[in-house]
Amino acid sequence: MAVQSSVVDKIIKEIEGYAPGWQSEHVGVVTAVGDGVVAIDGLGKAVMSELVEFEETKGKHLSDSMQTRGKLYGLVLNLEEDSVRATILGDSARVSEGMTVKSTGQILSVPSGEELLGRVVNALGEPLDDKEPFKNPTMMTIERQAAGVIDRKSVSVPLQTGVLSIDAMIPIGRGQRELIIGDRGTGKTTIAIDTIINQRNEPEEKRPVCVYVAIGQKESKTARIVEQLRKEGAFSYTIIVDAPASAPAALQFLAPFSGAAIGEYFMDRGRDVLVIYDDLSKQAVAYRQLSLLLRRPPGREAYPGDIFYLHSRLLERACRLSDEKGGGSLTALPIIETQDGDVSGYIPTNVISITDGQIFLVADLFNKGVRPAIDVGISVSRVGSSAQTKAMKSVAGGIKLGLAQFRDLEAFMQFAQDLDKATADQIAAGQRMVEVLKQKNGAPFPVEDQVVILTAANAKFFNNVPTAKVTATAGMFAQYMKDNHGQALAEIREKGVVSDDIKKTLGKGMEEFRLAHPELFTENV
Amino acid sequence: MERAYAQAVLAMVENGKTPHEAVAALRKTLEIRGRLALLPRIGKAFERLVAKEAKKNTCTLTIARQKDAQKAVKEVEQVLAELKIGDTDLCETVDESLIGGWRLEGQGMLVDQSWKKALLNMYTRATS
Repeated sequence: MAVQSSVVDKIIKEIEGYAPGWQSEHVGVVTAVGDGVVAIDGLGKAVMSELVEFEETKGKHLSDSMQTRGKLYGLVLNLEEDSVRATILGDSARVSEGMTVKSTGQILSVPSGEELLGRVVNALGEPLDDKEPFKNPTMMTIERQAAGVIDRKSVSVPLQTGVLSIDAMIPIGRGQRELIIGDRGTGKTTIAIDTIINQRNEPEEKRPVCVYVAIGQKESKTARIVEQLRKEGAFSYTIIVDAPASAPAALQFLAPFSGAAIGEYFMDRGRDVLVIYDDLSKQAVAYRQLSLLLRRPPGREAYPGDIFYLHSRLLERACRLSDEKGGGSLTALPIIETQDGDVSGYIPTNVISITDGQIFLVADLFNKGVRPAIDVGISVSRVGSSAQTKAMKSVAGGIKLGLAQFRDLEAFMQFAQDLDKATADQIAAGQRMVEVLKQKNGAPFPVEDQVVILTAANAKFFNNVPTAKVTATAGMFAQYMKDNHGQALAEIREKGVVSDDIKKTLGKGMEEFRLAHPELFTENV
Repeated sequence: MERAYAQAVLAMVENGKTPHEAVAALRKTLEIRGRLALLPRIGKAFERLVAKEAKKNTCTLTIARQKDAQKAVKEVEQVLAELKIGDTDLCETVDESLIGGWRLEGQGMLVDQSWKKALLNMYTRATS
C-alpha cells in the first residue's frame, strides 16, 4: 500500500507540474530493417555514433504503450546523402518499416562508478545480474580520444600477474598493452583470470580495479568465471561486461569500448585499472558482420578498411596518466585467438603491431603438460625490466637465456647417454626450470613467493629433486618460507629489494627445508 | 546504382526535357553500357523518388477526433509559423489512440501534443 500511495503522490505532483507547451523533435522514418541494421530516411542532422530512439508507441493504445519494455535505441553508424544507417541496440523484432525514429542528440554512454564493482553488465552498462539498478552512476561516453603524449607518463609500476613465467620474463607494467595470443584451449583466459585473482594480494589502496570484457563467449563460461572470481574473493573489485555469442553483433562490437569507458572512470580518479578484452578476434568478426550489413566496402578477408583503427583506437586508450592528470592508469590485456598457431593472420598481426608486447601460448607445450603454455622464446614485453621490482630483476635475469639454450639442446635429449657432462647438466637444469615455472590454474603466486622460488632455482636448490617433483617442491618451499620466515617475505613485498640479510635468510631457509624434507632431495647430481 | 539513374531522369525532367525524351536518353545510355536489365529497377526507384519528392512539403497532422480538427489546425499554423516553415501541405488523419490533442509529423520534424504522450511521460516518470 505504501508503494502505491507513493506512486499516487508522484502522479499528483506530475499533474500539478504539467505545463502545456510544444517541443519540436528531429525525426526520420525507417525504410528498411533487417539483420539488426535499419535504413532511416531523413535525420539529416544526425551525427556519427549518435543514439536514436525508435518510437514504438505510434498507433498503439495507451494501455499497450505502457507495456512497452523500455525504450529501444539505435546507434548511427553510416551517414549517407539523404539517409542514415543505424544498428539496433536491442531486439530488432521490435522495429518495423515506417516507424518514426527520433534523434536524441546524445553520443552512446555507459554508466560507471563504484556501484558497478562486483556487478555483471551488458555492453550498454545495463545490469545482467538480478541485483538492484544503479542509483547514481556517472555516464561515460564509450568513444573517447585517448590521452595525448603530454598527459602521459612512462610505464614503470609493475602489474603483478601472479604467473611466475610472466612476472619474471615478460613483465607487464601498469598502463601497458600486452597481448595474450594462442589457439583455442591453450589457457589464454586462465592467465587473464589468474591476473585478476592475483590483485587480491595487492594492498587495497594500490589494487587495480579489474574489468573483464567477455565478447562472443558462451554464457556458461562467463558464469563459471564469475563464480571463480567470487570464490577467490576477487569479484568485489571486478566488473564483468558481458556480450555473449547470443548477443547482437552491435553489442559484441561495442562491449570493449564500454569496458574501456567504465575503466576510464576509475583512471580519471587516479586509480589503476586492468581491462581484459576476451577476445578481440570475436569483436573483429562482429564488426565485419556489421560493416557488411551496413554495405561498407569489404577489404582483406572481408574485414572493413577501418578494422585496424577499430583496435588501435581502443588499445590506445590504455595509458598511465601524468601526475597532473591524477596518475591513474589503464592496463589492457587484449586476447586474440589464432587458428592452428598461425600468428600471421590479418587480425593477429594487426593487434601484435598495436600492443606493447605479446604472450604466445602454444598448443604443443600445453599438450606436453607445460602450463601455462607460454613460449618464452617468442613472447616479449616491450616495457621490459622497467616494470619489475629490483627484487624480481635480481633473480629473473638469466632465466630467459637459460631456457632458450635449453630449447636448443632439447633435441639432443634422445641421445642422453652420449652427451658430455656440461650439456647433460644444462639440459637437467633447463628441465627443472621448466618444472619450476609450471603453475596450477587459479593459483597465482604473490611476488615475494616468486622471488623466493626463483632465488632457490638460481641457487640450484632443486637439482637434487626428481624432475617430476620439482613443481610441487617449489610450492612447498614457498609455503615453508611464508610460515617460518614471513618477516623476510614481507620485506621483499614492501621494499621490493633482496637485501643481504634477506639473502642470508633465504639461504638459511633452503637448508632448513632440505633438512625438514630429505625425502624430496633424492637425486644425486 | 538504380537510384542514381532515377535521380538523373528526374534532373533531366526538371531541366526541361519531356518525360519521353528523358526515358529515351536513359534507355540509350543503358543500351550502350549493356545495363538494360536495370530498367525495371530504375522504374521502381524513380517511383520511390517521386513519392518522396511529393511528400517533401507535406506534413501529416494526426488528431484524435474529427471534431478537434479546426482547433488543431489553428494551433499547428501557429507552430509552423514559429518554426518558420512555410508552404506546407497539411494532410489530416484521425488516430483514436492519441486520446486527445494532436501530432504533427513531416519535413524531418515531429511535434507531439497528444494526450497519450503527456500521459505516457507522466507514467514513465512516476514509475521509474
